[in-house]
Amino acid sequence: MATHSFRATINRPTPDQAQRRPAVKRWLGESPDGWGFVLPAVVIILGLSIVPMIWSLVLSMQSADLVTPARWIGLANYRVLAQDPNFRSAVVHTLVYTGLFVPLSIAGGLGLAIMLNRQVRFIGVYRTMVFVPFVISAAAQGVLFSFIFDAHFGVANAVLSWFGIGPQGFFADGNQALLLLVLIGLWSGIGFCVVVYLAGLQDIQQELIEAAAIDGAGTWGSFRYVVWPALRPITVFLSIWETLQALQLFDLVFVTTRGGPLEATTVIVFFVWNQAFQLFHAGYAAAAAYVLAFGLLVLSLGLRFARRHGHAEGR
Amino acid sequence: MTMQLPGRRPQRRFLPFSAWHLILAPISLLFALPLLWLVVSSLMTNAQINRFPPTIIPDSLHLDGYRYVLRNALFPRWFMNSVIVAGVVVLGNLVFGSLAGYAFARMRFRGSNLVLALMLATLVIPFQITMIPTFLLMKDMGLIDSLGALIVPSLVTPFAVFLLRQFFLSLPREIEEAAWIDGCSRLRTLWVIVMPLARPALGTVAVLTFLATWNDLAWPLIAINNDHNYTLQLGLTTFQGQHRTQWAAVMAGNMITVLPVLLAFLAAQRTFIQSLTSSGVKG
Amino acid sequence: MPVHETESPRLSRRDLLRGGLSLVAVAGGASLVSACSGGSSDGTSANGTVTITMWHGQADQGKATLDKLVADFQRKNPKVKVNASSGGVLADSMLQKITTALSSGQYPDIAYIFGPDIASVARSPHVAHLGKYTKQPSLRWDDFYPAARDAVTVDGEARGFPALVDNLCVAYNKKVFKNAGVPEPTEGWTWDDFVATARSLTDPGQGVFGTGWPADGGEDCVWRIYPMIWDLGGDIVSDDGKSVAFDDGSGLRALATINQLGKDKSVYPDTKPGSETMYQIFNNDKMGMVPTGPWQLPDFVDNKTDYGVVPLPSYSGKTVTIAGPDTWTVFDNGSARVDAAVKFLTFLTEADQDVQWASQAGSLPLRNSTAQSREWKNHVSKTVGLDVFSNALTYARTRPTIPNYPEISQPLGQAIVKMLLDKATPQDALDEAVRAANAALTTG
Repeated sequence: MATHSFRATINRPTPDQAQRRPAVKRWLGESPDGWGFVLPAVVIILGLSIVPMIWSLVLSMQSADLVTPARWIGLANYRVLAQDPNFRSAVVHTLVYTGLFVPLSIAGGLGLAIMLNRQVRFIGVYRTMVFVPFVISAAAQGVLFSFIFDAHFGVANAVLSWFGIGPQGFFADGNQALLLLVLIGLWSGIGFCVVVYLAGLQDIQQELIEAAAIDGAGTWGSFRYVVWPALRPITVFLSIWETLQALQLFDLVFVTTRGGPLEATTVIVFFVWNQAFQLFHAGYAAAAAYVLAFGLLVLSLGLRFARRHGHAEGR
Repeated sequence: MTMQLPGRRPQRRFLPFSAWHLILAPISLLFALPLLWLVVSSLMTNAQINRFPPTIIPDSLHLDGYRYVLRNALFPRWFMNSVIVAGVVVLGNLVFGSLAGYAFARMRFRGSNLVLALMLATLVIPFQITMIPTFLLMKDMGLIDSLGALIVPSLVTPFAVFLLRQFFLSLPREIEEAAWIDGCSRLRTLWVIVMPLARPALGTVAVLTFLATWNDLAWPLIAINNDHNYTLQLGLTTFQGQHRTQWAAVMAGNMITVLPVLLAFLAAQRTFIQSLTSSGVKG
Repeated sequence: MPVHETESPRLSRRDLLRGGLSLVAVAGGASLVSACSGGSSDGTSANGTVTITMWHGQADQGKATLDKLVADFQRKNPKVKVNASSGGVLADSMLQKITTALSSGQYPDIAYIFGPDIASVARSPHVAHLGKYTKQPSLRWDDFYPAARDAVTVDGEARGFPALVDNLCVAYNKKVFKNAGVPEPTEGWTWDDFVATARSLTDPGQGVFGTGWPADGGEDCVWRIYPMIWDLGGDIVSDDGKSVAFDDGSGLRALATINQLGKDKSVYPDTKPGSETMYQIFNNDKMGMVPTGPWQLPDFVDNKTDYGVVPLPSYSGKTVTIAGPDTWTVFDNGSARVDAAVKFLTFLTEADQDVQWASQAGSLPLRNSTAQSREWKNHVSKTVGLDVFSNALTYARTRPTIPNYPEISQPLGQAIVKMLLDKATPQDALDEAVRAANAALTTG
């Protein structure tokens, strides 16, 4: 145990102990190695995505239906989108869903992961059970929840009646449908956060926790000062990932409400799909998709700005 | 976290089992309940399933659904297709994702920030739009209606690169720097030193990538035409007619799709979600 | 001092990177270009055999029937090979798949396209023009029912063959009627009768509904209102296609009737996509009657429901209903393949084959001659209620084949859902729907 910290202090390379390379090599830094390592990923990810990104951008500035030649109209789609009340409500619905879903899934995921990170009998079974919803396909989930939350015949209303609560509209009620989707989204998506956090918790060194305990930290203290900071990269990842997933919600809406009732659950990507494949306004749909993209870009630039002025990332 | 803090006496037990069971069991049940419903439904006949309000506990069990599914001559083929696609995609993501993730985490090279940002930027356009140009690209590569169309676009994903980068970032640098000073190349350091430590991360990437590929329906629907090239999910949709659905078969099909994955997860999670007695750094 | 590995091999990787990216960019550019040119080989092999591809979107029984008919055709026509598959989708998702295929330039020769969608798809120059084929007397184009012909005709020319024909009549559950002590409906009844019957059948205590209506705002929800509008003298769209034609009072009265059902809570609004729950409730004797099509009859038979069928009610007393035909849309992959496709579809829709398709896939006859055939009459006599649907074909009308049809259907669907859930007055709902539809129609 002690050798670990000893090593850390005496073996950290000093700046001039570091490779004395010629100036060119220093400028390149590790570029040749670095690029070599990322090359396959770059070719596949960027190579296969550049064309779609550009294609979509071009499409967003055209009047296109995908089956006839397109007509260039510049920013007209964007101008119409700014006035479109349906798009505005789609944006609102998406933001509401994301605002509720992301914090809850991260907090819930972390809480569950901590609970599942212990040696108790059957712990493997519990972990697997929490993971079940993530494994079931969206279509099967749609059937399941439509049946459970049926306003007239569903199990949910039956259970509520035992507690003396009157029947709810659930998916048929414009005020409840979106919140219900948040709940179902959490049920099916939290397993992802749990698994990632569980993996992250494995890397926290036991010694640090014990050191904190020796210093007098209780369970909450060791969480706040050891576990939470150690999990920071994971939390960053999950926050970004879950936000992206929430902003691009589609499957769940498609198999349960189809954007209803009365468009109460129409989210941005559903709006995009409907415009492109039901109404044949592919250019308009692409513009809506790019509004989402620009919004994310602005958000991420803002976060980056905030981070640069905050404390340094542990690198 | 339960840890044996030095100097603490084991607590007196009031129950014959750990109190955690009282919390974990109901929560886990809440998550797993639909699986029970899936299991029960797969063992009913269509007539039983169509009863309304639905029967929770059927009076008799039948294997009609399973028979219908397994009698389908192409079902084993669909299963193999799904296995191949998912297997290759997982392998690709583990290998190439680790390489790229490590480079982003530990190596400083010109353009690394830009490239990483670009990779993440590819995630902001929803699939419904990008699927058409991706389809065009696959068509030009001659891959449409083959497993290649399902494998190539997902061979490396920003998810794998990003997640592995974050994991590598959270590993303490000391061991790698020791190896570096001792003359190990970056590649060797990654392969010999870091990868064994990253088992939880690799396991996570493997499981989540496998599931995403296994459950994917939207892309195979567009990219595959011939029923010999269907994946399992695509094949399951054929049990749903335009107006009538073979519900027992759909449930049985889902069970056959889901159960092996869950059992594999149950077995594997013990290796990549280790107990707390092992620490991250072997001292 | 650690020795860094030599860098000469690595520099070449950088070139690889540049090379790789430019390769992909070129491929991408090429694909954009080729998407515009479209077209593929003409499918004729060396010995003169033409191969055509058909995406039928069918599963289960429909697929089995088609496979047999394809085999029959190939036996009689060795020079034509038909690659029939579902295309990887069910008919519900075929539109998205065909749109993608058309935009990529790689598309089949025949695809199963829903009636309301063919006009949109036919905007593509890749959809074949069949005018010269339908004029040939050997095809006996006039033998097809008017509804079937209209469904595949866009701008006065046929762009495909009829695939399936159906219409809307009312199925009722005899057991539910008996339990409620309500007399069974008869032909010639009115919408007021319908509303009153639904009310008297509804029993909230027992969880019994008078009737049901899809409430997801989709096409199955909307097409049910058109017979009501037509009966009142209105229409879906004006002759010039620039405005809706149900804002003359016909729409208002129809919506008010539906709203009455919603207010009485005698209707089960099925909000789930697919509307299967509605029929499940019917089969379990918890719904008295439901407007439906002939495709639902096999389901009633399987569930051993004691049912009967009557024509739709009306306001005026004269019978009116709607037919929702689906199409075998033909695509242009060269004249040899179009010829082959027409040959195959002619065979498929001839009376001998049509009767198999209709009786096994739960459709109705496409042709008059099919309806007159002995096999069909035999099949009708064995299935309760099929004769009512079959007769209704003579007075069934179809939706217009205009590309903007979804722009009308979606707002109207929202209006109907508001009526079913009693969330607005009929006037407000109608005004909103008319405004949205007209706005979309004028901007095109």
